Formats: sequence, structure tokens, C-alpha cells
Amino acid sequence: MKLGCVVGVVWASRKVKELEGCRMYIVQPVSSDGAYTDMPLVVADPRGLAAPGDTVVFVTSTDATQAFDSGYAPVNASIVELVDEVS
Amino acid sequence: MYLAKITRRVVAVEKHPAYNGRAVYVVQPVLPDGTVDGNEWVAVDYVNAGIGDTVVCGGAPGVAKTVFDIERAPIRTLIMAIVETIDYHDLETPAQ
Repeated sequence: MKLGCVVGVVWASRKVKELEGCRMYIVQPVSSDGAYTDMPLVVADPRGLAAPGDTVVFVTSTDATQAFDSGYAPVNASIVELVDEVS
Repeated sequence: MYLAKITRRVVAVEKHPAYNGRAVYVVQPVLPDGTVDGNEWVAVDYVNAGIGDTVVCGGAPGVAKTVFDIERAPIRTLIMAIVETIDYHDLETPAQ
């Protein structure tokens, strides 16, 4: 998992049915100091945790599908925590 | 798996239920000699580690589901061991 900052929202006119009702955000990976570390990526938010400007924890690769209740969705990045503080 | 140092704790109220009651830390990958190597990761603790500990991190798809015995586990990185000592010789410099 990595820390990221939600910097944008992706609006889609059509989606696969597994992603219906699930927002997709542009997330900029950041370090715990807030510095940008990697290229931004598109991350699904199956539990509706985040909003633009929030710091989040996102999980990548196969485990991202586990963030969906069905356990299956065509994603490889999902938001799993809305960060209140990194202490 | 890789060596890392636990630097900070992530505090969150809103989270996926698989993260309830689990300590989540920011870990900085390090080389065996302790120098920083690459970007930070976020990891879920499995061995009661703490800030400042050098640990072994890693995971594979589905591992978290098995070790925590839950149905859905969107957890990629686990803290799997607390490192006590490392026996290590840099192969480029001959051992003394």
C-alpha cells in the first residue's frame, strides 16, 4: 500500500458493470512529508471514503480487487483508508 | 520481501473493515547497511512492531486473507518480522 493525495476525479460515460456506483480518482502518490514521489494514477474508491484534496492509503495489484465486496472487479488500485494523520 | 524501517504511524477513522483494529505504519525500505532505498510504503503490522524498528515487509496476493482469516483483505504489504541483527558482507568489498 502507499500514501496518496486525491488530486482529481475521473468521470466516465460508460463503465464495466463491476464499477457502477464506484468513483474513480486521480491519485498522486506522496511521501509521509507530502512530497510527490511517483506518477499520478487512477484509483477506484469502492467504499466511497475519499474526496478531492484528501490523503488516502491505496492498495495496488491483485489485492485491489479485494476492496470490493464481490472480491472481483477489473481494477489494480483501490482506496482503503482515509488518512486523518500521519504521526 | 524487503528490509524496511518503520518511520511513522497512519491514523485513520474511515477505512475498509479489513483494517479495523490493525496498526498501519509508513515503512521506508533500507539496504542491509541501513541506507535509505526507494520510496515509502504503507504496511499492516502482523508482529506487534513499533516505530523505529527495522522489519521485514512483503506479501503476496491472498496472503493477508489467510493470515488474518477474513473473507476480503485488500492488504498488499505486511510487516512479517522484526529484525534483530543482520549478518551481511558487501560482496564488492572483501570480508575482513
